Amino acid sequence: MILVVAEQRDGRLNRATWETIAAAQALSADGLPVKIVVLGASVGAAAEELAAAGVGDVVSVEHATLGAYTPDAFTLATRQVIESLTPTFVLLPHTYQTRDFAPMLAARMRKSLITDVTGISGTGAAAAFTRPMFQGKLAAEVRPHGEPPFLVSIQIGAYRSDAVRKGNAASVTPMSVDIDASAIRQAPEAPFQEARQAVDLSQAERIVSVGRGIKSQDNIAIAETLAKAMGAEIAASRPICDNGWLPMERQIGSSGQTVAPKLYVALGISGAIQHLVGMKGSRTIVAINKDADAPIFEVADYGIVGDLFEIVPAIVKELEKRG
Amino acid sequence: MKIAVCIKQVPTREWQPRLNDARTWIREQDVSYEMNEPDAYALEEALRLREKHGGEVVVCSAGPARVQQVIREALARGADRALHVEADALGSADAFVTAEALAAAMTDERFDLVLTGLQSDDQGHAQMGVILAERLAVPHSTIIMEIQVVDSGIRVKRELEGGWFQWIAMPLPALLTIQSGINQLRYATLKGIMAAKKKEIRKAPMPGGVQPAQQVVALAMPARSKQTQMIAGAPAEAARDLVRRLREEARVL
Amino acid sequence: MTRETLEVDVLIVGAGPAGLSAALRLAQLQPPHGGEPLSIAVLEKAREAGAHSLSGAVLDPSALRELIPDFRERGAPIATDVHADHVYFLTQHSRIELPIIPPPLRNHGNYIVSLNQFVRWLAEQVEAQGIDFFTGFTGHDVLMEGERVLGVRTGDRGLGRHGEQKPTFEPGVDITAKVTIFCDGVRGNLTKELLRRLPLGEGRGPQQFAVGVKELWDIPPGRVGAGTVMHTLGYPLAQSEFGGAFIYAMSDRHLSLGFVVGLDYSDPQFDPHMAFNRFKQHPFMSELLRDGQMVRYGAKAMPEGGWNTIPRTYMDGGLIAGDAGGFLNSMRLKGIHLAMRTGMLAAEAAFEAIRAGDTSAASLKRYQDKIDASPVRAELYPVRNVHQAFGHGLWAGLAFSGVAVVTKGWWPTDLGGEAGHTRMHRLSSGKGSESVAEPASNATTVDRRLTFDKLTNVYYSGTAHDEDQPSHLLVQTEVCSTICGPEYGHPCVRFCPANVYEIARDPDGTPRLQINASNCVHCKTCDIMDPYGVITWVPPEGGGGPQYNGM
Repeated sequence: MILVVAEQRDGRLNRATWETIAAAQALSADGLPVKIVVLGASVGAAAEELAAAGVGDVVSVEHATLGAYTPDAFTLATRQVIESLTPTFVLLPHTYQTRDFAPMLAARMRKSLITDVTGISGTGAAAAFTRPMFQGKLAAEVRPHGEPPFLVSIQIGAYRSDAVRKGNAASVTPMSVDIDASAIRQAPEAPFQEARQAVDLSQAERIVSVGRGIKSQDNIAIAETLAKAMGAEIAASRPICDNGWLPMERQIGSSGQTVAPKLYVALGISGAIQHLVGMKGSRTIVAINKDADAPIFEVADYGIVGDLFEIVPAIVKELEKRG
Repeated sequence: MKIAVCIKQVPTREWQPRLNDARTWIREQDVSYEMNEPDAYALEEALRLREKHGGEVVVCSAGPARVQQVIREALARGADRALHVEADALGSADAFVTAEALAAAMTDERFDLVLTGLQSDDQGHAQMGVILAERLAVPHSTIIMEIQVVDSGIRVKRELEGGWFQWIAMPLPALLTIQSGINQLRYATLKGIMAAKKKEIRKAPMPGGVQPAQQVVALAMPARSKQTQMIAGAPAEAARDLVRRLREEARVL
Repeated sequence: MTRETLEVDVLIVGAGPAGLSAALRLAQLQPPHGGEPLSIAVLEKAREAGAHSLSGAVLDPSALRELIPDFRERGAPIATDVHADHVYFLTQHSRIELPIIPPPLRNHGNYIVSLNQFVRWLAEQVEAQGIDFFTGFTGHDVLMEGERVLGVRTGDRGLGRHGEQKPTFEPGVDITAKVTIFCDGVRGNLTKELLRRLPLGEGRGPQQFAVGVKELWDIPPGRVGAGTVMHTLGYPLAQSEFGGAFIYAMSDRHLSLGFVVGLDYSDPQFDPHMAFNRFKQHPFMSELLRDGQMVRYGAKAMPEGGWNTIPRTYMDGGLIAGDAGGFLNSMRLKGIHLAMRTGMLAAEAAFEAIRAGDTSAASLKRYQDKIDASPVRAELYPVRNVHQAFGHGLWAGLAFSGVAVVTKGWWPTDLGGEAGHTRMHRLSSGKGSESVAEPASNATTVDRRLTFDKLTNVYYSGTAHDEDQPSHLLVQTEVCSTICGPEYGHPCVRFCPANVYEIARDPDGTPRLQINASNCVHCKTCDIMDPYGVITWVPPEGGGGPQYNGM
């Protein structure tokens, strides 16, 4: 049985949970059954949502100490669930929260944890997991060592939440856990939002990036219109930032940021290797450039050879039509 | 405060990947190494805490003889002394093994605070610090941006996804994994480099019988699975075609 | 913030073969002579020793044997002994092997090495002696009092790109020494400053240089035997252009290959990097490299002028050794052993002078005497005119070299030479006014598998600099916007092998020099070859530069 540990905040499941379920289904390949556990102070609605999707039986765990996340409480609770349900695999989304407690859980249980997985080959005991190493320069195929359960955390975006195969509604079974509140050593305060001082392109889902082909600082407005229509962040190759047309934090490449968004649109970027290493891990790459021989087309999923000053406005128009 | 900083030596960011013949690890000849970047920020944070609250900063590192390079760099920047668990196997060991090795050497020191980078730039498991906290039996928090020392222990600012943050209080001793870029790294001065030669580097043995938690079966350059689809036509047509594909095929819009 | 100071007995600037041999020799001189041990400091601008070291290289082990007799047992990284020598004359489509290898190019008994690895190993030997070794520290200015060298001021660290002090700012350190040994390499910026402030060049010929562009390749095994050394002349260079290629098989599947071009060509549109690409496109080379992979790239200038262009290398409180002084045998294409030996002799001279309590020029002149009595003069003096002969063309140079071998260098007069950048011709009238930068006259198409554009190549040099710092290439830019275009067509765009220089156009059409400083591989070609002499290379913030692993 494959156990998926869902993640919720204030009763709402995050999309990464669905991605993890998709990964569990890939690992199972209709062999091992999939179960999902959701933990918190009050998880009724989240458990129902999961059960309604019909992907597997749902176990709901409610405890006062699980209301505000702490690694101590979540480790104690999750361990009890795992020892009770005895899965072969435990899958979690590779979120900041998972990173905060899953290694502690694995260490305490003395079980293997493979993190940041982007792919799964084989099923069951023969499964191997692909994960990035050396900042994405290499892909490693890894197998767990020792006895099950094997813990695995799935990279955000590696699996598609909409690829989950849904079925008939499943059941929700509550499970009680025993947690001594005085054993919890962390005292968290309420999360809050802060305007970021620096731009963090590594969190952006979509990026529109400009290169020399944009010709002047004023023309960047065209790219910004596209970015707005797509809900994307603006970024640039090195020469643009060197000229001061965009701030250095927006630079993508070996001397700037490395990103792997779902969508990367490269406008007037030739694709010098210094730039490619910063973005070639993007899931979908669109390149628009006048030069058919530009190296950017070697990594693009979709390419248009043409004048970006004509094509980009046409794309914006198209997006606004249906948007 | 007695502060430990766990520092890893990793290949430089400019390193171009080359694999060994068995393709189970990298080719180690002609690799240049440097201090893991998040660990450098952890070290800087530790030095600032010592400047503010007194105490000592001890660098702890696990790896082959070559990791002396980053140990000495840390000493040159101002750490007081070092602990080196030396074994060739630690050069490619997973987070589990590394944490066990460090824990064996560090337990008796009874550090007030242990800082590590949030993950290493080579294997990137993001596990070592948290496993180490468990082995040292101290509370932890991860991806920390700011540390305040208070009467009851510490209060730390943890980074969450999407621009959210959270303050957490916990007693000392504790372990924190540090986010990159939270401070400005100081340079090692000439005097610092000279003084580093005289600072103690205690060697600790690799504990026996530690099993890895995972095994690298194969390493490869990431493969490109898709072919480039060139979209032709006049701007309006090409735009329409592209948007359709992005919506329906790639499903990124 | 106060400036740090350090006082030592001997300061060695540059941890290349010359500087490291000097340090090691000083450590060796201590024990037998007893007395108060000398305090020694070595400065190196790279992040680690060897990172900026690049050469072919075929090493003559004579100096190594003297410095470290048990070098093999100590694990000196020798790739292979030389097993075979070949010299080819290339035409565009064919090659002719010279039936007899000219004696200076015979390499029996020599080793193929990676200078980068060799320097790393030498540095380990130095560090094992407990000598203070400061990597990531640049020699920025010479500290002088009148004609006496007091020491060196290192570069500031923590300056932003507009020269502002960042929170981490550290001013350069003033290191004073009884003797400073300058081993700052070809066209070293400190040696250049010394030549300007002291009359060291008086009575000497002007210094002359070449640039070498190099790649490391992995190729399928079985095409060439380990230890094979090949040199070529001819294509793609014209008769009036000095240079040729080297191909060294470090193993049967790993090649070091490169192209050397004299920095005295007359065509301002000539591009040395393009010559290397053309060379690789020769059928012989493209076949050798077929299905191979380029793994590293680099470039560096070399001192070519020979004995008569070596300046006075001793002064009050200072000595110059290695490439910085121009100790390279351009006929044998070797300089590492000369760098090592002059480093060792400088160490001996410094040691004796300090012990004698007199580090004046008169006392340090013993360095020159030692050089004159050593294999250095015996080797360099007979070939003192060879490079100058090539100034008259390939055939004149070859003919002269042949004669020089037979007569052991005797020639009725010393051939004069000129500084290479003065030989650059202006563009013929009518050209150079429309285009922003003239295209290379020897351009060829690149395919990014066999041949590469400069920007792609630079990526494989591992070059990295902190972006947020002032440009380290000081250029008087009025020339670039006014007369350089019409007169020379902006040759900096072509002679820089790292894509540092580009010419952009202002909205009103005026050309504007754009400097991509962080691409710089520290080769010094621009400092040497700019026809107006307005480019000055200074070290960027310590630690930045190439990472020449295996080069």
